[in-house]
Amino acid sequence: MVAFRNTDASGRPTGLLLRCVLYALVALGLIIVDKRYDQLGHIRRWLSVVAYPVQVAVASPFEGWDWFRNSVTTRDALRVQNAQLEAELRMAQFRLQRYEALETETQRLRGLRNSTEGVASRFIIGDIMDVQLDAYRERVLVDKGARDGVFVGQAVLDAGGVFGQVARVGQLTSEVILLSDAAHAIPVQVNRTGLRTIAVGTGDTGRLKLPYLSTSSDVVAGDLLITSGLGGGFPAGYPVATVIDVKRDPAASLADVDARPAAALDRSRELLFVWSKSAQAAAAAPAAGPPAAGPSAAAAPPTAPAVTAMPAPAPTTAVKPVPKPVVKPVPKPASDLPSGANDQ
Amino acid sequence: MMRDSRTRRIPMMLSALVALALAILPLPGAVDAFRPDFLVLVVFYWSIESPRAGGLALAFFSGLALDVIQGVVLGQHALALTLMAAWATHLRLRVRVFSVLSQCLTIFALLTGYQFILFWVDGATGNPVTSFSRWLAPVIGALIWPLMVGTLSRLHER
Repeated sequence: MVAFRNTDASGRPTGLLLRCVLYALVALGLIIVDKRYDQLGHIRRWLSVVAYPVQVAVASPFEGWDWFRNSVTTRDALRVQNAQLEAELRMAQFRLQRYEALETETQRLRGLRNSTEGVASRFIIGDIMDVQLDAYRERVLVDKGARDGVFVGQAVLDAGGVFGQVARVGQLTSEVILLSDAAHAIPVQVNRTGLRTIAVGTGDTGRLKLPYLSTSSDVVAGDLLITSGLGGGFPAGYPVATVIDVKRDPAASLADVDARPAAALDRSRELLFVWSKSAQAAAAAPAAGPPAAGPSAAAAPPTAPAVTAMPAPAPTTAVKPVPKPVVKPVPKPASDLPSGANDQ
Repeated sequence: MMRDSRTRRIPMMLSALVALALAILPLPGAVDAFRPDFLVLVVFYWSIESPRAGGLALAFFSGLALDVIQGVVLGQHALALTLMAAWATHLRLRVRVFSVLSQCLTIFALLTGYQFILFWVDGATGNPVTSFSRWLAPVIGALIWPLMVGTLSRLHER
C-alpha cells in the first residue's frame, strides 16, 4: 500500500501562498529578463559550470565503456583497422594534392574579387557528451565552451559536412543546435547550378526542407547543396545535404523539396568547431563589448595554421563589422513553415 | 514519531540529484519518448511528504537546474515546478489518505499542469514545441508514481 506517514501533519506550513507567489515572481522575472534583455549570458555560463559535474557523471560510464571496449580489441581487429585507415589516408592524401592547388587558386580568385567570405581558418575538435538535453529539440552538448573560444553562432561540422551551429555557450560546454532542428535554417547553394536558397530543419534527423524554391527552379534529386557563405555564419563551400525528392505541384507556386543532411547528425561523436574570417569579424564586435570574459579572447585571429595562406587584399572586408551574423538559432523567415512539422 | 525536518534534507538532496542524473541520462530514441519527469516526481514527493523541509525551495532550484541543463529560457521549469509543488503541498493532507489510484490521478493532474505551464512559456517565448509526445510524460509519470513513493519512502524510513 502506498501511503504517507503522518509525521508532520501538524499543520499547514506557514505562508505557503506567500512563498509560492514569491518564488513564482522570481521565476517570471528570470524568464522576462532572460528573454527580453539577454543579460543573463554570464550568469548562465557559470551556472552551466555547476551543472557540469552532473553531466560528466552521467556521461562517464558511457565513455568508460567505450574506453574499455577499445582497450580489449584484439590484435587482429586492430591490424584490419590499421590497414583500412592507411588505405583511407592514402586516398585522402591523393585527393589533398589536388585540393591544395585548387584552394590556392580559389583564394587568389576570391582575393581578386575582394571577398574573403567564409574561408575557414581554424578548427578545434569537440566531443559530444552523452547527455540528454531537451527531448523535444534537436540539440547536443559538446565539451568545448567559452574557455576554448567557442562563440554563439559558430559553425560546427562533422566528417560528412555541416552539422549545425553553436546555440549557447557555457564556460566548459556548449550547446549545438542541429541542422535538422525545426527552428534552424541555413543559407545554401545548389552546387550544380549555383542556385541559392535556404534549407530549413524539420525536427526529423534525416530530413531538411527547401521551402523557398519555385516550381520552375532547376533542382533535381541528387543535387548536392553546399553552404553559400551568405550571412557570414557558415564558411562557404561545405556540403550540407543531398536533394532526395522534388515534388512539383502545378497548382502551387513553390516546389516541395526534401534533402538528406550530409553530416551524420545522429551518429557523429566528434565535431569540428570552425573559425571563418567573416563569422569571426562579426563575433568580434559583440565579444569586444563586455570586458569580463578573458577566455573569449581566444576567438581572436589565430596564428595562422598553414591553411590561411591568404593573399593580401583580405583585410578590407574582414574588418568590416557585419551588422549581426545570421546565426541566431531561429533565423527562419517564419512565413509558411508547416508548424506541425516537428514530429520528432 | 516526530522527526526534525532537517534530517530530511540529506535524502531530499540525494534523491533530487539522482533524479537529475536520470533526467539527462541518454536513452535510445524509441525509449526516450517514454521517459518520465523523474525530478518533478521527486519534488512532488517531498512537497507532499515533508513540506517543512523546504519543498518550495527544492522545487525552485530543481527547476532552475533543469533550465540550465536543457538550455531553455531561464526560469521556465522553475516557474512550473514551483507552482505545481505549491499545489501539491496544498493537497498533501488529502493525498496522503488517498488510495493508490486517486494518488496517481492527482499526480497526473499535477504533471499535466506542469507540462502546460512549460508549453505556455515555450509559446510565449517564441519557440513552441508542438509535438504530442510531450503530453505522454504526465501519463508515464502518473503510472510510475507508486513505484517512486515506495522507493523514496524506503530511502528515509531507515
